[in-house]
Amino acid sequence: MTIFKKTNAVLGAAILAGVCAAGAAFAEGYPDRPIELIVTFGPGGGADVMGRQMAKLVEAPLGVPIPVSNVAGASGNAGLTQLRTNAADGYTMGTLISLTVASWASGLGDNKPEDFRVIAVVQSSPSFLFVPSNGPHKTAQDLMAYAKEHPGEITVATSGYGTQDDVTLKLLEKAGIKMENVPFQAPAERYASPIGGHTQAIYEEPGDVAQFIQAGQLTPLVVFSSERHPEFPDVPTSKELGIDISGLDNFRSIAVAAGTADDIVAKLETAVTGAVASDEWKAFCQKTYSCITPVTGAAAQSMISDFRDLIAAQLGS
Amino acid sequence: MSSLELLAGGFHAAFQFTAFATIVIGLLVGVVAGALPGISFVNAMAMALPFTYVMEPTQSMLFLGGIYVGGVFGGSISAIIINVPGTPASLPATWDGYPMTRRGEVKRALMIAVTASATGGLVSALVLAFLSAPFASFALKFSQPEFFAATVLGLVSVIAIAKDQPIITVVSLLAGIAVGTVGVDPLYGQARFSFGIPQMESGIRFVVVMIGLFAIGEVVDLIATNRDLRPKHSEGKGARPRLSDIFKVKGAILRGTGLGCMIGMIPGAGATPGAVIAYGVEKQVSKRKAEFGTGVEEGLAAPEAAKNATTGAAMVPLLTLGIPGSAATAIMLAAMMLHGVNPGPLLFIMDPSMVYTIFAAMIIANVLMIGAGIGVAQIFSTLMRTPPAILAAFIIVLSVIGAFGVRNNIFDVYVCLAFGVLGWGMKRIGFPSAPMVLGVILGPLAERYFLTSLANSHQDWTVFFTRPISGTILFLALLFVAWSMWAPITSMLSRLRYRAG
Amino acid sequence: MKTEVVPPSGREASGASPTGQDRATGLVRLMPALLPAVLVVLALVLQHFVFWRGSPAVTKGLGPDAWPDLILNGLALFSAVWLGLELWVLGRAGRRSALRAPDDDEIYRFGKAVAGIALIVLYGILLPLTGFALTTAVFIAVWCVYGGVRKPLVVLPVSLIGTWVLLWVFMGISLMPLSRGRGVFDQFSIWLLKTLGIY
Repeated sequence: MTIFKKTNAVLGAAILAGVCAAGAAFAEGYPDRPIELIVTFGPGGGADVMGRQMAKLVEAPLGVPIPVSNVAGASGNAGLTQLRTNAADGYTMGTLISLTVASWASGLGDNKPEDFRVIAVVQSSPSFLFVPSNGPHKTAQDLMAYAKEHPGEITVATSGYGTQDDVTLKLLEKAGIKMENVPFQAPAERYASPIGGHTQAIYEEPGDVAQFIQAGQLTPLVVFSSERHPEFPDVPTSKELGIDISGLDNFRSIAVAAGTADDIVAKLETAVTGAVASDEWKAFCQKTYSCITPVTGAAAQSMISDFRDLIAAQLGS
Repeated sequence: MSSLELLAGGFHAAFQFTAFATIVIGLLVGVVAGALPGISFVNAMAMALPFTYVMEPTQSMLFLGGIYVGGVFGGSISAIIINVPGTPASLPATWDGYPMTRRGEVKRALMIAVTASATGGLVSALVLAFLSAPFASFALKFSQPEFFAATVLGLVSVIAIAKDQPIITVVSLLAGIAVGTVGVDPLYGQARFSFGIPQMESGIRFVVVMIGLFAIGEVVDLIATNRDLRPKHSEGKGARPRLSDIFKVKGAILRGTGLGCMIGMIPGAGATPGAVIAYGVEKQVSKRKAEFGTGVEEGLAAPEAAKNATTGAAMVPLLTLGIPGSAATAIMLAAMMLHGVNPGPLLFIMDPSMVYTIFAAMIIANVLMIGAGIGVAQIFSTLMRTPPAILAAFIIVLSVIGAFGVRNNIFDVYVCLAFGVLGWGMKRIGFPSAPMVLGVILGPLAERYFLTSLANSHQDWTVFFTRPISGTILFLALLFVAWSMWAPITSMLSRLRYRAG
Repeated sequence: MKTEVVPPSGREASGASPTGQDRATGLVRLMPALLPAVLVVLALVLQHFVFWRGSPAVTKGLGPDAWPDLILNGLALFSAVWLGLELWVLGRAGRRSALRAPDDDEIYRFGKAVAGIALIVLYGILLPLTGFALTTAVFIAVWCVYGGVRKPLVVLPVSLIGTWVLLWVFMGISLMPLSRGRGVFDQFSIWLLKTLGIY
């Protein structure tokens, strides 16, 4: 146990030193060395691809290399803790995504929305319920009618209990549509399960299963949003079906530690929003069905805290 | 076009200068990185990812594929020469490879290792090229209960590697599984055993544990015993590598290859369980069962073949279904997605030339690996001539970098050093550390397969036995335990009878 | 809790190993009985520390503590069996305990090993504070001296060139965010990296 105490003391000292160093950052000549971008998940996931794409695109306007480092662990909290405890001098950025914010609501980590300054929310997409195309259910009405008659029989692959996936299923259950939540920790296994016929449906944002939609293996049935998704105009919203579930969109943002000087944040914001406006980004976000007008400033900040409060309220009830 | 024609086209593309050079460079980077203690092939692939930004999509896959193939082998070089596995998959190479080195047969050991690895990898690349479609649909039939059963098989194979202390082996294994439960649980997102330390919520990764247990302890012993690492010059007849050595272990290589191809397709498992299971199975079928662990050629060849046989197999679900089963293939997926390429069934229709170039490259890489492996091994043996103290200093620094690089987290370095101290102590008192590492690797997999299976079957635990494939594998696991326990139990009984009489 | 499982010293003497060869015998003979006992206690106690903030309410499935509890119970059970075997072994002359220290044919210098471990741990602790470059250079130099390589003409180039190569490969080429240290050390590292052309 002593090793843990020791590391705690070391970390304490490190955090203190970090806070002291934070005050001394000026935008004069910023940036004059590489800016690290912490991707809070391992390589290969949605956050990783977004982070790497962003790093590629902001390198030119900022004029310094943007090395990406994957700091995975604790639903993204490990990377955020590192972001928070590094000096708030604008030389460390990080990805902050809805999954991590939802994990705060279920008591994970010690990060708070106030610990971060969101540069911009750059990607957002509502989630859908997909079924295997060769399965028995062809429309949302079909599936929901079946689930009403056979409560708990439909199994839905999700990312876990206590996530926005779980919240959605709980809300559906309240409306009389009881489906079984089957959590798959590894995204790859989650996608494989409905395709292999091991689960009857999957709750996911379309960008993460794009290749399966395009290959005709998965069919979107319903979108959990107040309006239809422009890329899927034929897919009805949950609201149209009489169950209003919205505000649980998967978003991804770029953030820095709270306390970063305003002019540095402004510089980063210009670079990030500029990158989002580029053709290369547009091609990327179209492929992942997640294009939005970037949300910045106070609006982005409140988006994070509102989302956490929403999940906390739903999980608490 | 038939697949043979497509493959010929793939070979043509892969033999173009740039493509070929990319494969060779990737292979060399992989072997060197794999051989460096602490730096695993997953580390190396993640570090190489930014370099693929500037490459063509196909070229980036050739590069990563080369690192993958080379890196999975490379770890065995340091395992055989200095008893420190360069990557977790090379753990079994320390059990029978290093004893050969101590006998002065380092060249023979390396020769067997590289040939077995290349054979395993080559067969697996051929499976990928010709049988990926049927294999992929077979793989889709597997669900969580099957994965759980396969993981259990991996866990019980640990009993087979126990010398003669099954109880202590199980204790070590269970301790490893317990270590693996630290951090966020797979279903509920709750932090376990965090003791209020936020960094503990990230959990303990097996690579970090392995680096700590094996590299640090070994280095300290190196200094404490004043051991000389300089390769002994050939002593006696058996020291020179001969072709007949390979023929003698062809059965072991084939068994290892077959097992590796199967295990490689199980998501999450990968090279390390493949190598360990192959070692366990080989020990049971070998006539020289009792000598295992003292430098038996079969005990080296089987796991070596198995671990490289997982490389091609792991790419089957990635390329055919777009589903990465391991950390290494997830990095390949990231590289493809950054180029806007989505692997999966559509890729075979839309860009078959890319797919078949990758197939061809995997085949070429495994053939070239014999040369690359021997070359790098030569350099490493030369490095062993430097004073042990200097060598040890760099092994420690590389281990620390490797532990840090797993997740770019300094906390992993502390965990690694803590396990280093623990591993040294375990080694001093003779408590086995290999089962613990396997527990840390397989435990988290077993847990999530177990719990997801239950969630998917309305909490009905009979699902593991009623599903045919899962039931069969579990039955095999049971047989395996009975089989491997037979000798220790009978010997114990006879000893008891002897005492009583 | 540890003392109650240590066997009385009289029995220990009677159970002296017939093969008793090295000087570590006393320690090795005590450890086997101690270790499983500690493991039993640890496995049982740890089950109450799965969650730091109190156990979460579980509505579905077995809950996040089912698996660790199962494993820890198994660990306690098997450790108890092991403990039983050890105590049984200690009670009889001519029986050997289950654990055996590796029979190194060389001499093992415990003091040297402990000093080495202390050096390694110190390196790990200092790394985030004083930065990778400086700590590593000093560590390599100190380790060489400790390991018996004492010529300054060897130690200095090995430590400096070695660190330089490591910096280039891992911070320069692989772009790993290795620690730069805190405060003045951070500024020193940034200066060094800029001077070397890595930043």
